[in-house]
Amino acid sequence: MIPYHRTPQPTLPSSAVKIVGLGGAGVNMLERVALDGTEGAELLALNTDVRTLTGCVAGEKIQLGRDLTKGLGAGGDPELGHQAMLEAETEIRDSLRGRKIVFLCIGLGGGTGSGGAPILTRIAREEGAFVVVFATMPFAFEGRRRREQAETTLNELAVLANALVTFDNNRMGELVLAKQGIHEAFAAADHMICESIKAVIRLVVRPGLINIGLDDLMSALRTNRSRCLFGSGIAKGKDRAASALRNALASPLLDQGALLKAAQTVLVHLCGGEDLTLYEVELLMQRLQKFVPESAHVLFGAVVDPTMGDNLSVTLISALPEDSLAAAPRQLSHAAENPSTEAAGESPLPTPTAQPKPRRISSVDNPAPSLFGEETPIAQPTAAPSVQAEFRSAGPLPVEEPSSPAVSVPPADIDSLPEEEDTYDVTPNSSESASATAAHSGVGLDEPSEPESPKLKLGVKSLTPQNELSFDSTPRGRFEGQSPNVVDGEDLDLPPFLRKKK
Amino acid sequence: MARHSKIHVGLEIGTSKTCIVVGEVKPDTAVKILGIGTTKTAGVRKGEIYDFPQARACLKDALVKAEDASDVEIGSVYLAITGSHIQGLNSRGTFRLPEGQSIVAPEHVEEARGIARDVHIPPDHVHIHPIIRNYLLDDLEHHSSPVGLYGKTVEADFHIVHGMGARIQNSIRLVRETPLEVDDIVFSPIATAQMALDDEQRERGALVIDIGGGTTDYALYLDGAIAASGCIPVGGDHITNDIHLVTGLAFSNSEKLKIMAGDASPDLSRSVGVAKLVDDRGYAEVEVSRSILNEIIRQRLEETLQLVYQRLPQDSVKSIGAGIFLTGGTSLMRGFSELAFQVFGRDIYRPEPPEISGVQASFKDPQYATAIGLIRYAQILETERATPPGLFGKVSRLFWPFGK
Repeated sequence: MIPYHRTPQPTLPSSAVKIVGLGGAGVNMLERVALDGTEGAELLALNTDVRTLTGCVAGEKIQLGRDLTKGLGAGGDPELGHQAMLEAETEIRDSLRGRKIVFLCIGLGGGTGSGGAPILTRIAREEGAFVVVFATMPFAFEGRRRREQAETTLNELAVLANALVTFDNNRMGELVLAKQGIHEAFAAADHMICESIKAVIRLVVRPGLINIGLDDLMSALRTNRSRCLFGSGIAKGKDRAASALRNALASPLLDQGALLKAAQTVLVHLCGGEDLTLYEVELLMQRLQKFVPESAHVLFGAVVDPTMGDNLSVTLISALPEDSLAAAPRQLSHAAENPSTEAAGESPLPTPTAQPKPRRISSVDNPAPSLFGEETPIAQPTAAPSVQAEFRSAGPLPVEEPSSPAVSVPPADIDSLPEEEDTYDVTPNSSESASATAAHSGVGLDEPSEPESPKLKLGVKSLTPQNELSFDSTPRGRFEGQSPNVVDGEDLDLPPFLRKKK
Repeated sequence: MARHSKIHVGLEIGTSKTCIVVGEVKPDTAVKILGIGTTKTAGVRKGEIYDFPQARACLKDALVKAEDASDVEIGSVYLAITGSHIQGLNSRGTFRLPEGQSIVAPEHVEEARGIARDVHIPPDHVHIHPIIRNYLLDDLEHHSSPVGLYGKTVEADFHIVHGMGARIQNSIRLVRETPLEVDDIVFSPIATAQMALDDEQRERGALVIDIGGGTTDYALYLDGAIAASGCIPVGGDHITNDIHLVTGLAFSNSEKLKIMAGDASPDLSRSVGVAKLVDDRGYAEVEVSRSILNEIIRQRLEETLQLVYQRLPQDSVKSIGAGIFLTGGTSLMRGFSELAFQVFGRDIYRPEPPEISGVQASFKDPQYATAIGLIRYAQILETERATPPGLFGKVSRLFWPFGK
């Protein structure tokens, strides 16, 4: 027998990753990323407004437009942001040199973020980095002007960036309760974005048993002008596969998994400790099937990471084309490498003449950056612009936008509250949500949890035996199996007699 | 005002028991309880239904008992609801009179009310009660509508109780399937307060805490109007469960021990010795050290009261003049008054039902406070409805019973 050594897959050193926050909103996101821990990735904060920079915890800070805005913000003018960015170009170039992958966090619609992002992306690409952009779209109440600025920038970024993940702030409202403070609302939104950044980092940095690379990520996010669907869940214990999936689907960006119904490509990434079993993976994927259309392309990846302990994490990434965008295919621009002219010039117009073409391969001028040095390029990002161009030409997608009813019920919708005459009459939307939750909870129950007898180890054989079913949660008597009754971080169903002793 | 007797029925589907009270309101507004039907509830946890068929069977049983006892055919009921999803909040609506108008017109008051009721509640929640607390005219309090007075700014203070629509709908559906009609739904502590407090006590400030089997409901009245209300999903069942979890005794024994031997007072001298349960043959079946048993109970109840304390508006406990009224089955716990006094530092009462004739004995039991309070609530509502609807008749009859 010829012994076969599984060569360790090339990993990306975390020093090759740089997370950049641009503009006020971007710096906020960056702070959240910094606070949540980033496994060693470098952080770079860029802003025109020097006040936000001084308070930022990022390791590296560059002030934009030192002579232009003199430490003030760009005042919501993208042109100013654009100029300011050009002023600091060499500094940024130095900072980004040699990075394999750059995550750019921006809040679109303002001056610095919208104006500077295309240039920053171009610089990063020119320095040979793979650029993933995380962008938030402005709130609806911020007005059409900001929305348009954001759209313009988004169009440019769609061409420039390797992958683009868009979050709509309007959807972020669902992350928090209506009565919660605005601080918490923004913190929740930043946290959401931070989680997805970390998930993407995990995805590309850790070598997988069933590997998922940047190529898969790109095809999951291929609908470039799209809203990112992202959910990440972590769980441990007896029923960890099901609960991890449940947690992942609970992400407001997924709408309890309902939004996945329209997805064409779904990326599923599992990360577990060494006791990850094939059975668990199978169980989880089976459950996921109920949320994903049969025709969808499921990109599956699994990683065994000893540091996970007995945790199992699931990350779902997909993208939905935005309704309006799907209806209006924009002109392709081959001038990907020459964006500044386009940025300053006209915004791309919808051209119905752009016919769907099956494949467009050779219009690449930027060679694909090999992320893993000289070793086998596993995550070969096959020339991002071409992939995007190909998709963007695909015309109106036959995908209905399932999120629109959800979006149209913002928390501020007080008109739908019943009048005082009939106090126990219930508004239709509440009964809808009830049936939705019922359907959801039904999913969790309908599968009997079988004993994990067929243990087929996926990972490297660990020396320690598989963990016993740990009884880490205290028995709860007659309240067993109910959702915990948590007030101020304490489970009220447990005896205070036992709780207070600890 | 009322010309003839009227029969009202109150229904409380509690965690431990389902209770139907049939009451007759006499022409002189005295209330006579004609009959009570109670049965042990199954299928309800922490005030919320989790097993629909079981809860329905219990309701039917209680209904039959109540009809038997009172010799009344019950067609519709006032339903008390509770659950941790129900919350009370205060909201103030301010309306500035338009230029050139200096006398408050009805539509101005209506506008202020509309603004006050426009609070942000989660999208799946519905209003249960919008209760008017007070009007303010140029920062001066008015207990009745300031229509016709001179002023610049009208403000309306509301206490709004809201809860998850779907869960409330389920309770209503349970009753309708029985089949009974629902006259109105009432948040439990508000119904209890109708029973426990009189006008003077409300004026001086009083807090009603109804500790039932699965939930602890509270309602705070200050200056004659409701100031806070809410529900904490902890009750007597939790004590039993705590005893079970700590000592390892069976539920039935834990329950018996709790009732026979439990004491919540902070007084250590009551925690000496061993609590025993004796079985049919006279043998000691269960022995538990009183110090442990009482400590379990005391910690649970103390925590529950602390939770209530924390949820009340800041410094409001100091303004409670009349005292704190404990009710609900768990309030029968020995030493509970001492414990409550230690937490709140106010006078503690276990209310006795006033002005009720009939078979008195069982009505003294605080376990029936909510259901009897529903009768009182219905009575107030009925008196209001009997008055010819004025300009605000339709609206005001919903607010009036609770304050001014």
